[in-house]
Amino acid sequence: MTAPAVATRSRSAVWLRQFLLQGCWNYEGMQNVGFAYAILPALREFYANRPEDALKAVKRHLEFFNTQPAMGAVILGASVRLEERVAAGEADPRAIGTFKVGLMGSLGAIGDSFFWGALRPMASVAGALLALVHPLLGIASMLLLYNGVHLTLRRRGFAAGMEGPEGVVDWLKRAALGVRTDDRKLLAAILAGAYAGVFAGRFFVQGGGVLHAVTSLLLAAAAVHLFATLFRKAVSPSEILSFLLFVGVLILWR
Amino acid sequence: MAWRFLLAILLGGVCYLDRTAACQLMLHRPLVVATLMGAVFGNMAAGAQVGVVLELIYLARLPVGASIPPDDTGAAVFGGSAAAIASSSIGLDAGSFTALLLLSVIAAEAGKAADRFVRRINVRIARITTESVDRGDVQAVEHGLLAGLTLFAVTGMILALVFSGAGVAVAKELLPRFGPESRGNFAILLPALPLLGAASVFSCSRTERTAAVFFLTMAAVFGATVLFRWSA
Repeated sequence: MTAPAVATRSRSAVWLRQFLLQGCWNYEGMQNVGFAYAILPALREFYANRPEDALKAVKRHLEFFNTQPAMGAVILGASVRLEERVAAGEADPRAIGTFKVGLMGSLGAIGDSFFWGALRPMASVAGALLALVHPLLGIASMLLLYNGVHLTLRRRGFAAGMEGPEGVVDWLKRAALGVRTDDRKLLAAILAGAYAGVFAGRFFVQGGGVLHAVTSLLLAAAAVHLFATLFRKAVSPSEILSFLLFVGVLILWR
Repeated sequence: MAWRFLLAILLGGVCYLDRTAACQLMLHRPLVVATLMGAVFGNMAAGAQVGVVLELIYLARLPVGASIPPDDTGAAVFGGSAAAIASSSIGLDAGSFTALLLLSVIAAEAGKAADRFVRRINVRIARITTESVDRGDVQAVEHGLLAGLTLFAVTGMILALVFSGAGVAVAKELLPRFGPESRGNFAILLPALPLLGAASVFSCSRTERTAAVFFLTMAAVFGATVLFRWSA
């Protein structure tokens, strides 16, 4: 595996532009304009004196594209490497489209589960708990917990992609995102349990004995279970809040 | 007050850009946005109080594929600005706190509708970009992306102005119409809201192992809180 020939300047430009992958998110091509924008500095370098080939390359990247934005870095890096091979006449241009389509769905699912289903809830609930001590402590810890992992995965994923499609496979094995997802989900559940316990203790226990405390805990646990069941049945948080608002209006009206 | 709104528009624009179009560094999360709005409108702690609860409520809705979750950034702009204005020297009363959290759902749904609208306009921008590239203009990609970014930013700034304005109006005009007794009655609903947030996290982080761990931790922390109160 040879080192990529793309100049440091172009590589840095592509790296920075990946943060705007969703800059023109739309219902038709989704992240297509963002992807073409991000890879453009590399295409300009590879096809410096071949405007027609450059145009074809840009069109290739204006095809439908959608993945979890942080995982887009891996595909972007690998696409740069593939474009380099295409420009050198070592690969078929159609391989790029096949590669992107093949990877965007699976990486999107892995990324959604890891970032939205595990890392973000964990960072959010940790931040919310620490914000009870001081708001700025909560915000700082949430941003650090999330972005420490987020930016590292973007950087390493992009570097792995730049080694070519083979590098992507190796990196995915090493990154072990499945295990990391489970660990963070467990941590999120522990912290969310602590959050529920703190607020249940604050609101429900206003005096009374052990029986009152146990009843309060059971009521709070039943409420959490009910809400979680509703979420599983695809009831939106907005619908639950709207219902509670309606109940509140009835209380005021009486 | 005008400079406060100006600041709210600028900060709101940045937070809304972070939400979809740029970076996703979590600057758009309700904890950050509500605290910022609270600080802009004069009471950071009251804004953070709202942010702590709003932060978790909408996590159950994931931004997967083409689905758009409710706009919790907009809910936080509304809640944070309203909380800062409605709070007194002793903080935010429980009734007003509950009312603001529940009313913020209107901002969350309105913001979601605006987000859909922007993405529909972006379809046109993307089509124009593709047509221009077909005609040989490679730079159209950069112009297309800039247009999309600008649209997201301008919409974010407008939403920040509307929601912070609505928050200030609710805190100044609507909440004072209800007496302490009415607001006290409304506060009956308050305990349900943090539990809704906890359920939201529980639901999106649910695996075979997590259910038992969640409820055991909840019981342990609850017990510790009760013991601490009894001993105090």
